[in-house]
Amino acid sequence: MSFVRFLAGRLVKAVIVVLAIAALNFVLVRLAPGDPASVLAGEAGATDPKFVDELRARFGLDKPVWEQLLIYLGQVVRLDLGFSYRNQVPVIALIGERLPATLLLMTSGFLFSLVAGVGLGVLAARARFLERGRFLDSVVMTIALVFYATPLFWLALMLVILFSVQLNWLPAFGMESVGANLTGVSRAVDIARHLVLPTLALGFFFMAVYVRLTRAAMLEVMNQDYVRTALAKGLSPREVLRKHVLRNALLPIVTFAGVQLGQMAGGAVLVETVFAWPGVGRLMFDALLQRDYQLLLGVFLITSGTVVVFNLLTDIVYLFVDPRIRVEGRAR
Amino acid sequence: MRRISVRQTGLAALAVLGAWAFPAAAQTPVKGGTLAGIVQPEPPILMLALNQQGPTIYVAGKIYQSLLTYEFDLKPRPVLAKSWTMSPDGLAYTFDLQENVKWHDGKPFTAGDVVFSVDVFLRKMHPRARVTIDRYIASVTALSPVKVEFKLKEPFGPFLSLFEVSTLPMVPKHVYDGTDFATNPANQTPIGTGPFKFKEWRKGSHIHLVRNEEYWKPGMPYLDELYFRVIPDAASRGVAFERGDVQVLRGGDVDNVDIRRLRGISGVETTTKGWEMYSPLSFMMMNMRKPPFDNLKVRQAAMHALDKSFIQRTIFFGLAKVANGPIASTTLFHDASIKPYAFDVALAKKLAAESGVDLSKTPVKILAFPYGAQWDRLTEYVKQALEQVGFKVSIEPTDAGGWAKRVGDWDFDISFNFTYQYGDPALGVARHYLSSNIVKGSPFANNQGYSNPKVDDLLRQAASAVKAEDRAKLYAEAQRILVEEVANGYLVELEFPTLWRSNVKNLVQTAIGLNESFEDVWIAK
Amino acid sequence: MTSFWRRFSRNAGAVIGLAVLAVVILVALFASLMFSTSPWQMVGPPLLLPFEEQGFALGTDMLGRDIAAGLAHGARVSLLVGVVSTGCAVVIGVAFGTLAGYFGGAVEHALMSVTEFFQTIPQLAMAVVLVAIFTPTLESIVIAIALVSWPPVARLVRAEVLSLREREFVEAAIVLGRPTRAIIFGEILPNAISPVIVAASLIVATAILTEAALSFLGLGDRNMMSWGFMVGAARTMLREAPWLTVLPGLAILVTVLAVNLVGEGLNDALNPRLKERGD
Repeated sequence: MSFVRFLAGRLVKAVIVVLAIAALNFVLVRLAPGDPASVLAGEAGATDPKFVDELRARFGLDKPVWEQLLIYLGQVVRLDLGFSYRNQVPVIALIGERLPATLLLMTSGFLFSLVAGVGLGVLAARARFLERGRFLDSVVMTIALVFYATPLFWLALMLVILFSVQLNWLPAFGMESVGANLTGVSRAVDIARHLVLPTLALGFFFMAVYVRLTRAAMLEVMNQDYVRTALAKGLSPREVLRKHVLRNALLPIVTFAGVQLGQMAGGAVLVETVFAWPGVGRLMFDALLQRDYQLLLGVFLITSGTVVVFNLLTDIVYLFVDPRIRVEGRAR
Repeated sequence: MRRISVRQTGLAALAVLGAWAFPAAAQTPVKGGTLAGIVQPEPPILMLALNQQGPTIYVAGKIYQSLLTYEFDLKPRPVLAKSWTMSPDGLAYTFDLQENVKWHDGKPFTAGDVVFSVDVFLRKMHPRARVTIDRYIASVTALSPVKVEFKLKEPFGPFLSLFEVSTLPMVPKHVYDGTDFATNPANQTPIGTGPFKFKEWRKGSHIHLVRNEEYWKPGMPYLDELYFRVIPDAASRGVAFERGDVQVLRGGDVDNVDIRRLRGISGVETTTKGWEMYSPLSFMMMNMRKPPFDNLKVRQAAMHALDKSFIQRTIFFGLAKVANGPIASTTLFHDASIKPYAFDVALAKKLAAESGVDLSKTPVKILAFPYGAQWDRLTEYVKQALEQVGFKVSIEPTDAGGWAKRVGDWDFDISFNFTYQYGDPALGVARHYLSSNIVKGSPFANNQGYSNPKVDDLLRQAASAVKAEDRAKLYAEAQRILVEEVANGYLVELEFPTLWRSNVKNLVQTAIGLNESFEDVWIAK
Repeated sequence: MTSFWRRFSRNAGAVIGLAVLAVVILVALFASLMFSTSPWQMVGPPLLLPFEEQGFALGTDMLGRDIAAGLAHGARVSLLVGVVSTGCAVVIGVAFGTLAGYFGGAVEHALMSVTEFFQTIPQLAMAVVLVAIFTPTLESIVIAIALVSWPPVARLVRAEVLSLREREFVEAAIVLGRPTRAIIFGEILPNAISPVIVAASLIVATAILTEAALSFLGLGDRNMMSWGFMVGAARTMLREAPWLTVLPGLAILVTVLAVNLVGEGLNDALNPRLKERGD
């Protein structure tokens, strides 16, 4: 029962957070100078001020701002994200078109960073724990430190130069070979090849975070009394490592996985820019520059909504990973 | 300074250079093949009558057509109109249309479509052309299914220059009549008369056009497919061309510095032709409504402080030409005898002192022009140069939205802009100087606030004069005054080089260059 | 202090980091002395390679501006943005965390909801929007970075305060009737500060990266030469003049690396309990 109550409570909170985000963003974007009508008129080279007024009226921008906000929130409640002024199509359609690309990029970036990061972290901690291979530990940690300090966009540019231009191993940009008309397996392979560099660019930083987290968490657990006891009882270090250390070091990893999504969304803007990846991050940036209010708000809402859902999932995973956390009275 | 690197421009050039440029002498076009280019930035919509940004015209110019197009010297040449006549008083123009033209959905194209397009759709929706249509065109009448007559309210010299594809594109009456033009679902699947049909648009990735099998010119187009790829990063676009992912680069796709490198690649050809219709000219706007730029000597000082040839050479990497006035040298009625303001720091300082304005007490802000790296460099340079003669300058960064809004609202001290000239000063130049165009809301009006009744008169007379000699005289006088009074700080005429792989033939053949329909573009095997 | 330094210096990486950081700080401080002209001034022929001509050790950019001067002045901006925005973030975070942790109840609930709310919004994306809206200036960049960086500090401080509040010396102070302000500033904060310092060092590193990313997207302050701006401005020339992108990129990398190393050293030095785990 308590689980259901917990879940319901979190859900209600999530909905409130999402609506608050919608309202906050709405106010924020209206503070920016310029509006979609002036941008469109500017790009069109319109010399007729009446034209701009007509556009404003068509977009409903001539109404008072509070009225526009109410209209917008009313839409959001009905799960309607509105119409993109600029592209003349519903916002949801535009986002829907781009979302799969971003999800693919983020998922593969996420998996890469998680697997490589935790793997290397375990390797480093293990080397230290088994009292051999301090060198390995140093190498892994140095790699982690360097990637932790590398600007993502710069790394992306360097990857393109090295792997696409110099070595010509991998495509430099885009999500698939345009015009190749591939299907089935060959298309999947094609997309996978395009995915490699963006995934690396997006994932290396987070990989570094996981390496450090995993290693630190494991080293911390290794110093706990029960581990020492287990060792003293004559269990082999390998066994202790597997049975006690790894399991108990999982918590901070899960915690970080929960917040990683939000951070990666920002990185996606950069990666999608450099690699011409047809995703939502770039859509957001363009919408921002062009003051395509409804589209921008829509992207924000979807992203924040996803983060909220992800946090919820993290909370649930917590319950299973760490039974010590009681459902009620859990303070985060 | 202009690099003459044109290797295949029109038939005449072909005939002369043929033997040298193409060893296989007279090459016959082959059918088939796929051409890929870059569309940058991604257009919001491909319905050309609703949006006329550069990238939109580039793609939609293959789908939509107008009645005419233009030779390099801006003489009209037939497209959907076979021939045309003007009445002696210059008040009526009659066009004979091509026969057997079909829209992409199979319906016939007739004079009724022309009437609807110009008189209904564009008169209401075209952000630029509607002003001209309202002011000059009294009526459009279908005399027969293949004959259409335009009646003017008063003579209009540049009337025949209006039929560039983005200014008066033909739209299908049977699709749009009686609907809400802005939200008509057909806007997402454009229907025109051009040689290529819209197939697919993967937002953020590419636009795909395919051959129109029922194109009205038999045997054309040669190409099977066109792809326009969306690549937001300039460096990546350079890489795309280098790797052969795309075969054509449009001017502006890559930074000018990359052009230098890319055209050195073997098998790459380049030209700066194909922009005569637009002839983009860049200038520095100085807000004349407030100090210090309300003072003529201060404006002249600023102009003498700038080294235009440094700008031409270093900031635009030679892909520009120093401008001597408001009318570009590649367009009509340019007066070559006018001298640009010389780079002379001492003179600039002297003028500033004579002006009586204390520049150190009237700091100015440059509103950055947010359209790419070279404009950033220009902004940085101008700040340095003006500071050398005593101005106090800071840079205000902004993005496209903020820029359009603030320039439209006259909220700036200095900013930059470059504008298309549309083949005739009456269409692209006069708008910046007529005092009747001092209106808020558009960044392409008379934003600096220049007002001189004499110039107003000259520009009006020149627009309605029909004889070219009369117009030339009037424009010469106007140019002289505009330069003398620094109505804008003229900087450079921009050159937009087109780069392509040499097996692609017939790319740039008219004054609208890559915006042409590509009906006769072909790829050698 | 000596024991602090002893613990700090046991970490070789931290010492190296500190040395590098000291150099960067010195360069930033004395940038105008080392390069008397503005880094925006075009002083030489454009696109000189590093070491190609005397006087331009690191070459020149597309306008003939001295790269070395740009890097030196860029150090100033990067450090300034990093330190000031972190300062702001720490102030906000400490205020939220302390109030929430000390008072508990409705105050805690309200404050932590706000914190959680800010954590829900993607950080860099939020910073991009804020800077674009308030036009990119040094101030707006600092504010935007501070606004997206404070929530972790708030949570950290709250946790510290929660546990400190249960400690005897704090309870004694409460029983003795000392004013709340005195307890917070005199007893609790001084004892909660060391993890905050460690966290702050990480925020400085992230802030430098964020500033660079903003500049790369064209949202930097156009009156200040910064490393991110240098990378962003030169990226269209990546193939032609790679050093224009590589050098400032390396500058960012090395500085952020140094800050992180110092942060680790601080962690070792300030949290001696953890030290024993064998680092």
